[in-house]
Order: sequence, then C-alpha cells, then structure tokens
Amino acid sequence: MDISSIFGDFTAIIPMIALLIGVLIVPGVHLGLKKPTATWGVALAVVIVSLVLNVILLTGDYQGTTLDMASYNPYSGLMILLFQIVLFLAVFVSNSSIETTRNNTGTYYALMMAAAMGMMFVAESSDLITIFVGVELTSISSYALVTLKRGDSRAAEAGVKYVVIGGMSTALTLYGISMIYGLTGTTEIAAIAAQTQLTELNWMFGIAMVAMIAGYGFKIAAVPFHMWAPDVYEGASTPVSLFLATGSKKMGLGVFFQIFLVMFVAGTACSAIAGEEIRYLFAIIAAFTMTVGNVVAIAQSNIKRMLAYSSIAQAGYILIVMAVMNDYAASAGIFHMFTHVFMKGGAFLIVGALICAGIGEKISDYRGLAKRAPFLAFAMMLFLFSLAGIPPLAGFTSKFFLFSSAVGTVDGATSEWVWLAFVAILNSAISLYYYARVVKTMYVDKGETTEKIKVPKIFLAAIVICLVAVIVLGVYPQLVFNYCEAAASFLLP
Amino acid sequence: MDVPLLSLLVIIPLIGAVITLFMGGERQKYAKFVALAFAAVTLVLALVVLFTKDFSTLDEYYGWIDTAAMKMGISFSVDGLSILMVFLTSLLVLLVIIFSSAESDRPNYFHTLVLAMEVGLMGVYLASDYFLFYIMWEITLIPMYFMISWYGGPRRHYAAIKFLIYTHVASLVMLIGIFAMGFEVASMLGGPVDFSFDVINDVMPMASETMQSLLFALLFFGFAVKMPAVPFHTWLPDAHTEAPTGGSVLLAGVMLKMGSYGIIRVCLEALPAGAEYWQWVIITIAVVSIIYGAFACIAQKDLKKMVAFSSISHMGMVMLGIGVLNEAGVTFAIFQMFAHGLITGILFMVAGMAGHNFGTREIPLLGGLAGKVPVYATFMMIGFMASLGLPGLVGFWGEFGVIFSFYEFIDANNMIWMIVFCLLSLMLTAGYYLWAMQRTLFGPETTKIDLSHVHDVSKTEFAAMAVLVACVAFFGVWPDAALNFIEPYAHGVASLFGVI
Repeated sequence: MDISSIFGDFTAIIPMIALLIGVLIVPGVHLGLKKPTATWGVALAVVIVSLVLNVILLTGDYQGTTLDMASYNPYSGLMILLFQIVLFLAVFVSNSSIETTRNNTGTYYALMMAAAMGMMFVAESSDLITIFVGVELTSISSYALVTLKRGDSRAAEAGVKYVVIGGMSTALTLYGISMIYGLTGTTEIAAIAAQTQLTELNWMFGIAMVAMIAGYGFKIAAVPFHMWAPDVYEGASTPVSLFLATGSKKMGLGVFFQIFLVMFVAGTACSAIAGEEIRYLFAIIAAFTMTVGNVVAIAQSNIKRMLAYSSIAQAGYILIVMAVMNDYAASAGIFHMFTHVFMKGGAFLIVGALICAGIGEKISDYRGLAKRAPFLAFAMMLFLFSLAGIPPLAGFTSKFFLFSSAVGTVDGATSEWVWLAFVAILNSAISLYYYARVVKTMYVDKGETTEKIKVPKIFLAAIVICLVAVIVLGVYPQLVFNYCEAAASFLLP
Repeated sequence: MDVPLLSLLVIIPLIGAVITLFMGGERQKYAKFVALAFAAVTLVLALVVLFTKDFSTLDEYYGWIDTAAMKMGISFSVDGLSILMVFLTSLLVLLVIIFSSAESDRPNYFHTLVLAMEVGLMGVYLASDYFLFYIMWEITLIPMYFMISWYGGPRRHYAAIKFLIYTHVASLVMLIGIFAMGFEVASMLGGPVDFSFDVINDVMPMASETMQSLLFALLFFGFAVKMPAVPFHTWLPDAHTEAPTGGSVLLAGVMLKMGSYGIIRVCLEALPAGAEYWQWVIITIAVVSIIYGAFACIAQKDLKKMVAFSSISHMGMVMLGIGVLNEAGVTFAIFQMFAHGLITGILFMVAGMAGHNFGTREIPLLGGLAGKVPVYATFMMIGFMASLGLPGLVGFWGEFGVIFSFYEFIDANNMIWMIVFCLLSLMLTAGYYLWAMQRTLFGPETTKIDLSHVHDVSKTEFAAMAVLVACVAFFGVWPDAALNFIEPYAHGVASLFGVI
C-alpha cells in the first residue's frame, strides 16, 4: 500500500503523528468516560495504528524527509519499530497490572506515548538540536511516568532521583552541544563530520565530545553514570520499568550510534583530533559498564534490581559497537537491541505478572515457582538463558554477531579489540551465574506452598509474544537481521 | 538413500524429549517406556549409519542464515571419527534409560533430560558447521545442569553451578577462536564468513603459523576443559560425585569425548601448524593428567570419585595419543575414546550401585562384598580389569596403542627415558584398581554398614551392564571392528603433519 501518496511530505513522521493524536485524545477519553479500561482500549488502538503505519513504511522501503528535519530511512524505520514494540508491550499490560495508577490513567498513557514519540523523533533526527529535543521529550515524560504508581512511596523517591540525575545529564549534553556549535558553526551531524575533516580541531572539541558522552551516558546508564537506573527501575511500576529499560535505553544507544558513529566513521579524517582516543574511551566505558553491571547484579536479592543491573551490562555489550566502529558491528548492535527488547521485556513482564498474583519482587519469593506456575517459570528460564547467551535463543545469536564483530571483519581477524571480546565473554559467564541462580530458585528449591498461581490473561499473551520472538529470532535471525544490515549500511555508507 | 538419516539421529531424541516432558501426573510412570522406544530407534538408526558403505552419501546440507557478513548452514556429516562416537552415544543413552528404570522422582523429567542430552551430543558429533557445532555444544550443558541439580547428591547445587560456569567459560573462549578462524578464512577466500567445516578445515591450514598457533591455544583451552585435562579438571570430580549414576555415565562416557573430539576435529584438522607448535605442551599436559589422575585415584575414599579421577587419567591417554601427531597416535587416541566410553559406563554404574544398594560409596566402609553380592562383584571386577588394560578386553588396545605410538615418537626424538611415565601410569592404574577391589570385594565381610537388606544387581541393571561387558569383550577380542573405521580417517589427519 502506498501511503506516501496520502500523507505527502508528512509521511516520514506519520507514525509519530498517529501517537500525537493519541496523546491529545486519550486524556479526554479518560475525563469523559472515567473508565480506565476504555482509556486503555483507545491508547492501545492508537499504538497499533502507529505500529501498522510504520510496518507498511518499513516493508515498503519508504525513504523521505519532512521539513528538512525528520527523515525516514532504513535505520530510523527499524528503530521506530523497536520503540513501538516496547510501547505496545508496556501499554498492552498496563491495564491489567495492579501497579498501574487508576486515577490518572489518561495522563499515564499520554505520557507513555509522548515518551515513545520522543524516541521516534530522535531516531529520525540528524541534527544535535532535534536529537536533544527528542531526548528531552522522552526524559520529561518518563520522570512523571515513574511517579505514577499505585500505593508505593518508593515511586516518588525514584522519580525525584530520576529528575535530578536527568537534569544534570541534560545540562552536560547541552554544554557539549553549545561548544560544538561554537567550534563548527553548525549542529548538523554530517556537517560537523565534514568540518572535522577540513580543519584541525582543538582540545575544545575533545571536551565537548566528553561532555556529550557523559550526558548521553546517563541515558543509557553507562558506568560511571549508572547509579540511578536500579533505583528507578525498582521504584517504578513494572510496565514502566519495562518501558524504560528496553525503550529509553535503546534511544540512548541510538543517539550514540547516530552522533558518534556517524561523526567518526563518516568523517574519517577526524583522527586529527579524537578518533582513536574516543574509540578507546568507548572501549573502556563498554568494558566497565558490562563488568560493573554483571558483578553488582550477583549481589542483588530483588529481581527488578537484578534485571536493572543486567540491563546495564547489556548496554555495555552494545557499546562494543562504539569501539569497533564498522557497519557489521553496528548491524549486530542494532540486532542485539531487538533481541534485548524481547528477552528483557519478557523477564519484566513475568515479574509484573507475578506481582499481580501476589508474589513479591524478592528472588527468594520465586522458590518452587516451577510447580506453582510451570509456564511462567519455563518462560522465565528461557528469557534468562537468552540473556546469558545460551543457544539456540535470540540472545545467543545477537551476542554471536556482536562479539564476533570485535574479533574481526570479513577482511580478516584483527587483534585490536579482541581483549574487549574477552571481557565480554567473561562477563557472559558471570551473568550465567546469577541467571542460573534464579532458575535454580524456581526449579530446584522447594516453595512453601504448591498452590497454583493465576495471572492476568493479558500478561500471558504478552509473555507468549516475547517468548515466540526470543525463539524465532534465535533460530531464524535473518528475519530482522537483514533489516539491521540495511540500517547499518544506511548509517555508515 | 533419500532418508535424512543423520538429521533423524538428532530429531528423534528431540521428539522423545518433548513427549516425555509433557508426561506429567499419572502418566509419568510410562515415560521410561517412551524414552526407551525413542532411544532404541535412535540406536537402530545409528547402526544403519554404521553399516553404510560410503559415509559421504549421507551428507546433508540445509541453508539457514545467509547475511551479507556471515553464512551458516545446518549441515550434518559422518566419518571415521564421529561414527564411533555416534554409536557410543546412542548405545549409552539406551543403557542409561534401562539402568535408571527404577528412578521414581519425577521420572518423566529425568528421561527428558537424558534424551535432550542425546540431541546435543548427536548434534556435536554430526554437525559439520561451526555455528551448529557450537550451538549443539552449548545445548548439552543445560540438561546436564538440571540432571545434577535435580537428581544429584547433597552438594548438588554447588557442583551443578560449578560445572555450568566452568564449561561455559571454556566454550566461550572456544567461540572466540571460531570467530577468528571464520574471519581469517573469509579474508583468504573473499566474501562472507562461511562457517562450514569443509571450508574452514580446508583453508585454515594455509594460514600463517603465528595465527594458527594463537587460535590453537584458544580452541585447545575450550576443549581441554571439557576433556578435562589437568589443570582444568577441578569441575569434574564435583560434578561426578554429585551427579546421578545415569548422568555420570553420560558425562564420562560421551560428554568428555566432546573435548577430545573437538581437539581432533578442529585443532588437528584446521590448525596443524598450531598443533606442531604446541606439541610439547600437549604432551606435557597429557602426561601430567595421566600421572596426576592416577595418584589422585589412590587417595580417594569415595568409589565414584575414584572412577572420576581415573577418567582424567584415561582421557590423558587420549590426549597423549593426539599429541604424538602421527597416524598410530591419532588412531589409538580415537580407539581409546571409544574404549573408555564403554568401560567407564560399567565403572560408573558399579560405583553408582554401591551408593544405591549399600547406602555408601566409601571404600573403607565396604569390604568382603564378593560373597554377599557375587554378580555385582563380577561386574566390578570386569570393569576394573578392562580399565587397567587387561589384554583381551577393549581397554588394552587403547592403552597399548597409545603407548606404542608414544614410544615411536620419543624414540625418534631421542627421549626414550620418557617411557618411564607410561610405565609409572600402568603401575599406578593397576595399583589403585586392585587395591580398591581388594578393599571392597575381598577380605572379611564389613561390619561397618548394615548388609542385611542388601540385594544384588537388579534385572535392568544387569541387562545394561551385560551389554557393555559384551561390547568390552567383543572389541577387546576383535579391535579391528572399530579400527577399520578409524584408520582411513587417522591416515588423512596424519597426512597433514607429513608423518605417516
């Protein structure tokens, strides 16, 4: 179907426009009907419409630009799809979760859609300012979203923490952008890359880069800017944690790809100032992020905190791309983001479902779960093993591509980043320890009761979606990997 | 033949595993018959493959992942190296199911795990694509983990997680080696990375010696942990002591062979220059494993732990044969793998039964069992004798052949004094087995444990062990039955080293 003939120049942002309409009408629906379920239905319908529109664009290989600002291309289309899947999962289960607010339902869904819209705009941007605006739209919506949790004061604490940290990261980013504008006279990434080739840039440029890396490093919870993540994920309601851990983090990684990969690979001659050093900086951040994430995860007794730390570690794996800086690595990184959505999303969904059934967030609460909820325990086992990278699950396949990119390219094996691959595999092994511990708790330890657990059907449906995706992407990765390759080759021509 | 025999060898146990998984509740007591049927069909198929004249007609290839950067296929093939392992796997799985028919704690899951393990093992031995090989390699871990942590002894959690992490780290190191081989070959041929054995094992030997020896180190580490070779062996005694008998039989009988299989298949076939570079390291590790394993055996009080350490010693023998890098060495290393698989099955069954029947496996607590349980004593004696290399039984040919080829090698290198190690190992092996036998079977009947309720070998246990004893005797009298498969293959591998 050719929808570009209907929407003309605005086709590129049509998935966001759909959400924007949702953002505007959903609070109205809530105020008018006062029925959370009706509000949920409208929100879900809007999300699905947006998803369908994007799938049509993506499969139709549409490329176009709206107002010289937002461009739809293989990369942005794929990232938008990823954000929409996250949004869909989060919205889908929100109404059935007992953690979701019942008083501000309209606001809740509107904020969630606004946050997703911000992510999508980021994916379509190629200018530091539009990226900044998109990131802020997401961040500010998320701050409020975190506090919207029923009957738990921890949410407010988490929200405040998030605002303070987020504000600081915003300031850093903006500082970096302003310096870059001062040095190059532009905020367009491609133009900056071209500038770096023409003129030799001084140390100011380096400082600007570092400020931006730090600012956006907060968003992806890269070490040492990670402290907020476990508190926020633990404090927020589970659908929101899912949304933040899988969506907002991917936006941050997408920003890294769009700014730094493009700037340093497209502007190859930038070695004059910072090219090599920046790669090593990224490699060190990646190594520390995965190591700290995994090692601290071992000590956690709360499953949401454990998953939060494991998210930090997974972001560390994806940061390998920033050190390797080639298109194969980028495609592997994007693919890992996809698989991560399903396996981490699935794990959070199970946690959320069990909270609805009265099971706590402590890992020890999961004792004997295999007897009480055989399907949930089995699904959780697969998600955790997938996160650990056990074949033939999706997490293995994406890690396979990702780690292999550090060992070489089709031009031969190289030794430059092999140490990073070693750090990554050792981390994989560490992670297997704490994932296997949860599996052991569920399957081997005896629970206090063997009473069967009933969880909301909606949660089960969402979990099944994730489970199918984890298995299918593991066995047949090409389904998405081809799109990832197209996206990467667009980003790094 | 049009029947995809090799994929069926993987698929049939998989179907069996899925079916038994869902046989909960009332139906779980029938799970063993279902498992038995599937294992029997697999064994029959393995025999059909064994008696196929030309193995190359069985090759299978299905396209799978085909991206701009990488190409992986689902491809299976069988040759003189893998066929014996395939036969051994299908045989041991069947016997384990027969042997464990008394398992009453969630028997359906037990059989699911056994069959799932068979899927992984068959996959490892049949795969001819590195990606598939690695996947299958990792798949074997999960059932074994559950086998130990569900059905194991008192310290099972510790043993299970140690096994899982230890071997997982090793596999990951191996994975990096696989990546590097893939990229290196791709750079030589151009185009995407093709992970098939054919391509990599053909082209990789032409890579530079530095590259080969580097990659050899990575891959060898991955395989040596699995084997396990000293000093990477510490997971094995724990895993074995805690694993249920059936799990131990599969672990020692066929899972350890994955390590030596990998060394021959990957390290020798694809990286011959690396093997030559590291030859003395391999031999040193082998000799240390043999001697250390044997000494450790003497010190053990637990019968099962003793058998576990004897596995380290005997797998060291396999490594020694590989390290010699000539035709006889490789031939008898493979034969020793096969022989050890058969013998260790009996040994672990005997050791496991001590735990079930007498309530303890502590050697000092046992004594004078020959009069009380004569059938059990006979099996133990046959197992021990086969393992210490009594002529006429299968163990003799493996050890004799490896030592023979090692002698040839040290003779050529003017280091004939090294034969001392071999003699020492033979003496120690005979020593710990005979001593253990004397303390458990002979002498005055023990009073330290209550023997009044002790019963002798049950029918199913008898059947399982009798089949293994028959095999041990058959291949002991007529080793050519196995050697005929191995020799052409070993000839091909040895030609890579220019020593025929």
